[in-house]
Amino acid sequence: MSAPSILLAVDIGGTFTDLVALDIDSGRIAVEKLLTSYPDPSPGVLEGVRGLLDRAELAPAEIRYVVHGTTLITNTLIERKGVVTALLATAGFRDAVEIGNEGRYDMYDLALRKPAPLAERRLRFDVPERTLADGRIHLALDQDCLRRICAKLRAEPVEAVAICFLHAYTNPAHELAAREIVNEALPGVAVSASHQVAPGMREYPRASTTIANAYVQPVADRYLERVEAGLQSSGIAAPLNIMLSSGGTTTVAASRDFPIRLVESGPAGGALAGVHWGRLLGQADVLAFDMGGTTAKAALTRAGELVISHQSEVAHVHRFKRGSGLPLMVPMIEMIEIGAGGGSIAHLNALGLPAVGPESAGSAPGPAAYGAGGTQPTVTDADLLLGYLNPDYFAGGDIPLDCGAAQAAFAELSATLELPLERTAWGVHQLVNENMAAAARVHAAERGLEIRRYCMVATGGAGPAHACGVAGGLGIRRIIIPPMAGVASAFGFLTAPIAFDFTRSYVSRLDELDLGELNHILAELERDGRRIVEAAGVATADISVRLNIDMRYVGQGYEVRVPFKMDELGERHIAEMRREFEAEYRAFYGQLADGVPIEAVNWRILISGPEPQVANAVFDEGQAATDRPVGCRPVRFAPDQAPVETPVFRREQLSASWSAAGPGIIEEAASTTVVAPGWSARVAAGGCLLLTREDAQG
Amino acid sequence: MIDPITLEVIWSRLISVVDEQAAALIHSSFTTVVREAGDLSAGVFDREGNMIAQSVTGTPGHINTMAHCVRNFVVPNYPIDSLDPGDTLITNDPWEASGHLFDLTIVSPVFYRGRGVAWFASTCHAVDIGGATMGGDARSLYEEGLAIPLMKLFKGGQANQQLFDIIRANVRVPDQVIGDIYAQEVGNQVGARKLIEMLEEYELADIEAVSAQILDRTEAAVRDAIRGLPDGIYHNTISIDGFDEPLTIACEIAVQGDTLRVDYAGSSPQVDRGINVVLNYTHAYTTYTLMAALVPGIPNNEGAFRPIEVRAPAGSILNCTRPAPVSARHLIGHFVSQPLLTALSEVVPEQVIANGSAGLWNTMMDGMDANGREFAYVFFSAGGMGAAHDRDGLSATAFPSGITGVPVEAIETAAPLLMHRRELRVDSGGPGQNRGGLGQVMELEIITGAPANHSCMYDRTGNPAQGLLGGGHGAAGEVRLSDGSQPHPKSHYVLRPGQRVMLKLPGGGGYGAPFERDPQRVLHDVRQGYITVDAAERDYGVVIQAEPTTIDKEATARLRRESRK
Repeated sequence: MSAPSILLAVDIGGTFTDLVALDIDSGRIAVEKLLTSYPDPSPGVLEGVRGLLDRAELAPAEIRYVVHGTTLITNTLIERKGVVTALLATAGFRDAVEIGNEGRYDMYDLALRKPAPLAERRLRFDVPERTLADGRIHLALDQDCLRRICAKLRAEPVEAVAICFLHAYTNPAHELAAREIVNEALPGVAVSASHQVAPGMREYPRASTTIANAYVQPVADRYLERVEAGLQSSGIAAPLNIMLSSGGTTTVAASRDFPIRLVESGPAGGALAGVHWGRLLGQADVLAFDMGGTTAKAALTRAGELVISHQSEVAHVHRFKRGSGLPLMVPMIEMIEIGAGGGSIAHLNALGLPAVGPESAGSAPGPAAYGAGGTQPTVTDADLLLGYLNPDYFAGGDIPLDCGAAQAAFAELSATLELPLERTAWGVHQLVNENMAAAARVHAAERGLEIRRYCMVATGGAGPAHACGVAGGLGIRRIIIPPMAGVASAFGFLTAPIAFDFTRSYVSRLDELDLGELNHILAELERDGRRIVEAAGVATADISVRLNIDMRYVGQGYEVRVPFKMDELGERHIAEMRREFEAEYRAFYGQLADGVPIEAVNWRILISGPEPQVANAVFDEGQAATDRPVGCRPVRFAPDQAPVETPVFRREQLSASWSAAGPGIIEEAASTTVVAPGWSARVAAGGCLLLTREDAQG
Repeated sequence: MIDPITLEVIWSRLISVVDEQAAALIHSSFTTVVREAGDLSAGVFDREGNMIAQSVTGTPGHINTMAHCVRNFVVPNYPIDSLDPGDTLITNDPWEASGHLFDLTIVSPVFYRGRGVAWFASTCHAVDIGGATMGGDARSLYEEGLAIPLMKLFKGGQANQQLFDIIRANVRVPDQVIGDIYAQEVGNQVGARKLIEMLEEYELADIEAVSAQILDRTEAAVRDAIRGLPDGIYHNTISIDGFDEPLTIACEIAVQGDTLRVDYAGSSPQVDRGINVVLNYTHAYTTYTLMAALVPGIPNNEGAFRPIEVRAPAGSILNCTRPAPVSARHLIGHFVSQPLLTALSEVVPEQVIANGSAGLWNTMMDGMDANGREFAYVFFSAGGMGAAHDRDGLSATAFPSGITGVPVEAIETAAPLLMHRRELRVDSGGPGQNRGGLGQVMELEIITGAPANHSCMYDRTGNPAQGLLGGGHGAAGEVRLSDGSQPHPKSHYVLRPGQRVMLKLPGGGGYGAPFERDPQRVLHDVRQGYITVDAAERDYGVVIQAEPTTIDKEATARLRRESRK
């Protein structure tokens, strides 16, 4: 028997659990979608796996490995359903997580609320000890005091302890010693140390991340144990890998130590899928755009790769307000998220002008057209009234849409605005497109990227219907609609390499670097990373090691990330680091600050296995290709023009050689692609639809 | 007449255009004060100089002063039709722009099809502007640095080289200052390009009609809110520490129909230290405070300013006259929010908050580090905010300023300082039915083995934040050395090795009578260590017994009953 050839991805979302099985030898794919089970998602996973194996006639032994991503961690934080967590902090600094950054995220809101720390003040303890910024010990760890605190904690229902000492990222000795004492005194309690969870400077985000890790650890532990055991009981002996927010996967053991790195793993899969389809069609600059029921998410590549950020937030007080969440300092694919989806509700703002979202009708009651009790006008209702959606083929016909209900929902808004119903619906469609385009435009501008050069990969239930509109507002001329957009995240998991990264803050001017010390640190990071990646089954020869250095001019507050080749560092490398920094800095800021010394701040080592070879993946629906429209319907593409009779196609009936000029509608069960006038569409590699503006090159 | 949907679509685009302008500026800026603290503003203006939209970054002191500067200073002196494509103007006039020489306001006209259609402007805090000192020590404007009258920075795309040379010759870090000037110009040009793309896409000749409607709608919404207030005169007066002696800020709000007038008559006269405030800056923090209290969901543009008039007597601390020193004008300017909110509490008690720490605590240390290199380090810290009708005040949070603080680890990495503690200051929140936010306590030491200079800019050491509607005042601020001595809170002294300085930042005022506070919330505060057992009994009439920490219900009832007699 040949080596097992099936890769299995399992993505647990808030509503659905998606599964994708890919045979890397034949490229054949099988998918399964079922409702996520609550409150424990693990039974749903096991049911889905069994269903998929049965339908695709696969044996458990054919599975090479399983990749799993879950919203469980994110939800635990949002719903604040983690365990009672205590913090051990350097004496005098237990309030760092409550003092925060001293700012307000909304200047005009006098009734502002800030996110409460996950460890309440009475469970945050002062531990006498002190390490200085350069790593020297200023005050020895008071072990007796620490033991007294542990004795006190025994009387509390504390299940997790976070340790965050000042400057522990430069010298972890005290955190390690404290960890040992806590392990001994409080057996069974999960312990997270800041130098391991989030080894970077800035005590507020580091402590916040460490507490969050501790807070979810027992929950993640129990959950992962159940999934692992369940898979084994289904006869799957293949290794289970866990999807990380950084776009890599890792072992269950490593994810149990760092469950906070699982936050937002689903969207990471979506972004990876976008990059995969872009590459397949020869596009390096990709805007992965996913629009679902309540939110739209987007990720951009830079020089062909997704941008990884180490500053993010979770569990926002105001979901779409930057700064209102708990800060996290873990590697994460950088995402834009805005409150725009099919369920977003149209209303009048304080100036009496129309606005869309961020309030959403969600999936219950859902848009008015669902006929499930929703009465407010939503984006989906607008799309229906404009002719973009087929009332009899929404979700493949599973959800019949009620045009009358959609009209009724729009009646009041259109009367208040003194505009015809269809004009109002068109306005709502255009407004939500403009909101999404604006978010992407500003995000690109903040990073100095020219968004017009990008290719959009549109996914999500509502993405393909809005793709031309959003792309138009961005000046984008190419759109890829990948097949099976409904399970994009799960498919993306399969493109992720096994990878883990470690960071150490070691701040030094380049001309004062202690190379001995530095090489020692890097070797340590590499060793830790290799251990995890090898444990996930990657052969030593297949491992690649990458180094990124965060550098800045002395005195600056932000660093520029500079990729650097991993090597034993010697004197000659210092000039090279300076050159690489200057090249990167010039690309970012346009000019250099000559004469100002440069310093390195963070050293990040990424250890990864090879990228899985999934380029031959084909989604074969097994239907006869006719390439002919299944019908025609009037569709509105401009505010002041009559609807246009537009041909409607079924995606599964299109052959690899199909193409057509817009306008056109291409329906499939998971979504509807709208090809606007001025655009044309064709079937491209891998079963993708490629939409191009007619004046676009190539 | 543009229909409301098209109007909203175009307006959303305008907001995204100014956000792109700000992003380009921040992106190309060299200085941390712009990049990390977001100390800048960016906006788009119509032909006549009316501010239509502003970026989401920025502080009120920059945004609203910039709006005034473009409309009332730039346009009257350089009407758009008198300019050519590629022209850009600059000024840092404190009286016409943002109140001190550090802020450079740079304004560029936009031409489309041969006609001036709009302006883009930004205001950024320069790292240095020359002059003798940083802080409030100057005795006149002339000591505070280089003044740049309104003039062309670029003419037809060509740099005004003489002006650049003058700036270069006058500032301590010319590369950074000039780099940021170019960044501002880059931002304006990006804004202009994106605006023209928008005009082409929507087939518009200009933005006059859009501007008129946006401003009119905004104005109408603000007038509606004012009309909702009963006609009348509302006033309040507060005392603040001042430089050497206390100052008074008196405000009177007159509401009549749909107009509102604020008059600061009765406020202290200007002083010969750099803490004087120009009227433009007073106006900025006044309109900001009123909008946050009365119409928080309404966009901030010229239309919002129309129904509001702001006056202060010439020669007063809030409307100083040339050549008064103004460098640290924010120290006083931030306080106008305080009497305004208290005066409004008479009519909209649920929309305001009690007084808080208000002024940022600005700490500067300089000296020689262990390697003999000069160091200078500045950081800002915030005390507590006042409580509201339905919630406690925020602890250690800046208001009305929009800045963010700096982590201890960043401070200790950049400067030879050792922070011994930085924690919430117990019992500093003003007691009330809702408690004021807590201040914080910091303890600092210099670790170079050599003395260092510590410049203090601390307020509310003598005048704590008052409570509202029966709430008690927050704790006053305090500066104390380990030998027990107390340095002047607005001057500088030498911090010796081995000596520690303790900064106790002020707390916010309480809201409502403290004896009305739910005893369970008092118990919660004791358990979490926000207040002590003694304070619970003394300030709230709640008797707490220890082990386990619970409320002594009988004793509490007795104490609270007696207090009503």
